[in-house]
Amino acid sequence: MRRTILLTRDPISELWGMPDVAPSTAMGAIVNFHGVVRATEAGEPIVAIEYEAHEPMAVHQFGLLMNRVEQNWPQVESVSVVHRLGRVEAGEVSVWVVVVAPHRAEAFAACQFLIDEMKQTVPIWKRILR
Amino acid sequence: MRVRVLFWSYFRDLAGGDEIMEVLSPGATIAQLLEQLHRRIPRLAALQKSTLIAVGMDYQDKDYVLKDGDEVSLFPPVQGG
Repeated sequence: MRRTILLTRDPISELWGMPDVAPSTAMGAIVNFHGVVRATEAGEPIVAIEYEAHEPMAVHQFGLLMNRVEQNWPQVESVSVVHRLGRVEAGEVSVWVVVVAPHRAEAFAACQFLIDEMKQTVPIWKRILR
Repeated sequence: MRVRVLFWSYFRDLAGGDEIMEVLSPGATIAQLLEQLHRRIPRLAALQKSTLIAVGMDYQDKDYVLKDGDEVSLFPPVQGG
């Protein structure tokens, strides 16, 4: 399984193109997930979120999650994750996950797994800016 | 032996800095490190149930036996995404 793990202080833009996901001819599904900073938090308006990470550990923990993706869904061909650090304005993309697999079921499941588990184990924290 | 303790997110504010060095007896566990730290920084003790602990880049339990030169990270629940 090919993997990309990137923590970046730059805006996530479609102009980057998809990170290392060019699918082989056996692949039939690409799930492309963008997590976006909402303009409200607990009903109150916010302007941005400031993300902080223990960067080496975050990359390592993303790698462990990708090991589990590979074990659970061996058909998955590639998984890419890009997470913003620093100030991310409301409306901007904070996390981007791309999963390439032969069929949609494993692509959706692997993407959901990665996002859910990330929120439990990857050392990234946020501070709300109002 | 000496271990380096790193504080992340709002734990940094509670601890009053990014990191400290702690001197421990050989064979000390994370639990013993925390006892020692909590005496010095009682505000961290109040959050111990939700504190996550890593040594290097991996999570560890409180019974983990520390080694000289270990780097221990203490932080609140993570919030990526």
